[in-house]
Amino acid sequence: MHIDKKVKWGIALGLGPALLIYIGFAIVPIIISFYYSFMKWDGFSPMHYVGLDNFKQLFKDQLFWHSLKNNVYVILASVIGQLTLAMVFALLLNRRLKGAKFFRTIGFMPVVLSSVVVSLTWSLIYNSEDGLLNELLRAIGLHSWAQNWLGNEHLAMLSICVTIIWQFIGLYMIIFLAALQNIPREILEAAEIDGATEWSKTWKIIIPMMKDTIMAALVLAISGSLKTFDQIYVMTSGGPNHATEVSAVYMYNKTFQSLQFGYGSAISVFIFIFGLVLILLLNKFIGRSVA
Amino acid sequence: MESYANRKTKMILIYVVLILFAIINAYPILWMILNSFKTAKEYAVDKIGLPHSLHFQNYIDAWHTANFGGYFWNSIVVSVAAVIITVLFGALAAYFIARFDFKMSKTIYNFFIFGLLVPIHATLVPMFILMSKLGILNTRLSLIFPYVAFNLPITIFLLVSFMRSFPKDIEESAIMDGAGILRIFWSIILPMTRPAIATVVILSFINNWNEFVFALVLINNPKLETLPVGLQNFSGDHVTNYVGQFAGITMALVPILIVYLFLEKELVKGMTAGAVKG
Repeated sequence: MHIDKKVKWGIALGLGPALLIYIGFAIVPIIISFYYSFMKWDGFSPMHYVGLDNFKQLFKDQLFWHSLKNNVYVILASVIGQLTLAMVFALLLNRRLKGAKFFRTIGFMPVVLSSVVVSLTWSLIYNSEDGLLNELLRAIGLHSWAQNWLGNEHLAMLSICVTIIWQFIGLYMIIFLAALQNIPREILEAAEIDGATEWSKTWKIIIPMMKDTIMAALVLAISGSLKTFDQIYVMTSGGPNHATEVSAVYMYNKTFQSLQFGYGSAISVFIFIFGLVLILLLNKFIGRSVA
Repeated sequence: MESYANRKTKMILIYVVLILFAIINAYPILWMILNSFKTAKEYAVDKIGLPHSLHFQNYIDAWHTANFGGYFWNSIVVSVAAVIITVLFGALAAYFIARFDFKMSKTIYNFFIFGLLVPIHATLVPMFILMSKLGILNTRLSLIFPYVAFNLPITIFLLVSFMRSFPKDIEESAIMDGAGILRIFWSIILPMTRPAIATVVILSFINNWNEFVFALVLINNPKLETLPVGLQNFSGDHVTNYVGQFAGITMALVPILIVYLFLEKELVKGMTAGAVKG
């Protein structure tokens, strides 16, 4: 549209309110987070500038590295468990099938539930005494398998990852399904005429054509895994003995329990940058190798 | 070509896998809802079977011991207020970004999209301080503002791509008729954008309704707690009262399930849009 002076004012007024709230409550906080990360502060008394001390401390902090390792664990579980299974279900659903709509609806259902509802439900499923899981194991005669799923240091992380996978598989299934339905029929029909089996069709045509979507799903899964907080806060609050502590939970505890606002900010900043770098690397690495 | 028998075995296998998937997805929810109708005694003896009768006492008890009415009301007020502001401001901004060629339009668009990459918990500490400096910590406003800010990126992303698809001459004929910019927005563009707005409304409502971290940190007043935080506290206070917890969780769950079953299309579209289009 042609722009005169009056329109210019209109643009400023139209963009103003959205920009104001967005900058004030999303951009400014992230910038302040960087600023706080150079400070020593308990949230009440005056701040002290400490330069890179927080980050130096961070690099030596065993518990922090442990929590980051748990984030990587969640990333791997999401990428391997979630994306792979989601792809399998999407491939199975991508055909003329009675009840396809039903499977899609049920498949996506957990995605719309709040993490708190999901986590509380799974806490009850994992309950060491009266949980569904132990009850089912006993019912099929596996008495010795029944145990405290969230209380066992070696199993707690796995139990939580199962919950996270359960919650979000449907999201990726629908994303993959949408991409599958965009693949032109003619290409697949041509391959069939040439005698391609379903297996080779999937690997040689379908998967390569979904490269962009798989990439987007990977980015989503990785950035989502780095944000993991709700499920762990609700199910174990990082325990037992830090076994399920992820960086966001560690940051929360450091900030709001130990009142180390500067150090907590340094953790946030590190995770933010870590996530961006991971996604950039992924973009470069996968973008090239497939193309 | 596959033989008929082969194809039949294949279909059976596919169905077995899909039905298994459906059971794993639905059963935990169903199990919880069913158990919410059992008495504590009944649950202690039988954790898997059907309840003997529809026993609503757990719901009545949960509703009275915890402030569930209040949690629901707080969640509704905060979510609805934030959605209205998000959609109004977001649509207005999207209109100017999508329909006017000005120098900064691409930059401003990208600036908004960048927000999709900002992790909420990285803003937690400054947000807490910011709210206390503004004097709105422990008020509903302290949730509404961040909810708007963090839903604007996806709102603008969806609305801009929708508004860009309209033909150019829509506004031109309206201008010929002497309509102003805001008038064009309000009576032409906005009605045309209705399908995308429906998606955005439902998506941001669900995001707000389910949000946990901000609500945990920014609200300390039990009277203002939203449903996720209230529910979490309720469960924490009644660790061994399983049937009570089942009832509480079910109360929080059912409204969202109903919304989902009625508005599945919009909801799915909104939640997957980032990855499908990006």
